[in-house]
Amino acid sequence: MSRFSRRDVLRLGGVSAAGILLAACGKQAGVEESKNVKSIGVMPETEGLSNVEVTDIVLLRTAASLEFNAIDTYDAAIGLGVFTGAFAAAGDIAKRLRDDHAGHANAINGLITELGGAPFTCGNPRLNEIYITPALALITDADNENPALDVVVLAHALENLAAQTYQGVVTLLSDRDLRRAAMGIGQDEARHAAVLAQALNPGIAGVLPSVDADTDKPNVAAVPGAFGPLTPISVTVGPVNADGTRNSLILETPSLNSLAYDDVACA
Amino acid sequence: MTLTASVTPPTKADRELLAFANSAEFAARDLYAVAASLAVFNDDERAMLVGFHDHHRAAGQSLAGIVGALATNVRSDAVYNAFRGRLQGTDKNAVLDALRELENTLASTHLSLVGELEGSEGAALVASILNIEARQSVALAILTGRGLDDALTNSAVALSPVVGS
Repeated sequence: MSRFSRRDVLRLGGVSAAGILLAACGKQAGVEESKNVKSIGVMPETEGLSNVEVTDIVLLRTAASLEFNAIDTYDAAIGLGVFTGAFAAAGDIAKRLRDDHAGHANAINGLITELGGAPFTCGNPRLNEIYITPALALITDADNENPALDVVVLAHALENLAAQTYQGVVTLLSDRDLRRAAMGIGQDEARHAAVLAQALNPGIAGVLPSVDADTDKPNVAAVPGAFGPLTPISVTVGPVNADGTRNSLILETPSLNSLAYDDVACA
Repeated sequence: MTLTASVTPPTKADRELLAFANSAEFAARDLYAVAASLAVFNDDERAMLVGFHDHHRAAGQSLAGIVGALATNVRSDAVYNAFRGRLQGTDKNAVLDALRELENTLASTHLSLVGELEGSEGAALVASILNIEARQSVALAILTGRGLDDALTNSAVALSPVVGS
């Protein structure tokens, strides 16, 4: 007769399994120990974020970075040589708006200098990476049938993004004079957006919101509502895909992962 | 990471400034009602004017919401009377020009307020109204065949807030 009951066997089995599990979790000879959470294999060391602070200077540097995003985009658009024929007038508008953004960038960087900060003199790297570079790649695709129109669509989206950014930082800036300065430029960006909206959807039908009867999608409107929106901006550009669709990008105003912090520098 | 301070409510002085904006917006609402009633405009143009009328009404109502008991909810007669005389006759562009000047005047006034308001809640609301009035000014400039400078530049003088005691 066995000296162990079935219950004893199960109990011993459980203790043994737990022991094996604990041994597996323990330090092992010859195996490099990760500094991260215990896991199988070795993970790279985590790099902590620097202790950044969202100050008025950081917000203004971010605004300056958007101005350079716009300048770079208009320069790229003008450089494409697509503003000819029916789009010649759009080329003149693009030059005027680019020059306005250069003036805005100077004004914002002047404020930053007055506050003791370092001016920001290039496009926002994060927005370049996730919005502008992919959009320009789609626009300049060899299969794209209407790059001139798409350039205006992108510019319109960037102007809306800039207008929203300035409007949004009003609640974040601590200084009233800075809020006023920001909105002085913000209203310029809103005006830019309205001009480009009229270029895309001209005449009185393009002033207030409307819906395309064929696609059920909203048309571009110069005046999108009673209050300045702070919503994501959808941009559809580039060639028609095999399934008949076109690529869309969703633009959002700069957030904590795309602010021009003090330690962010131009390449 | 250190974030900026949270949204701050309007102070008593803010509420008086916002009450002024409330009355200015209702004056604009009534001026658009006058314009929309003119026979010179066709249905499409009237629909746009009614749309802008509704935007000013919404702005006035939102300002009233943040002002509370200090909101008069009546139009500023000073603003109304300054533009009312130009909203008549058969010259469509002259009427639209007057409305463009109204939009630019309100935009300049709101910009001035953004620089005076202490609480960020009121400043944010005024900023969102300002951006729309700038756009409405652009639309009116383009529809009257004006050039890019007229659409993009606002040289209107801000109204001086008339605040209660």
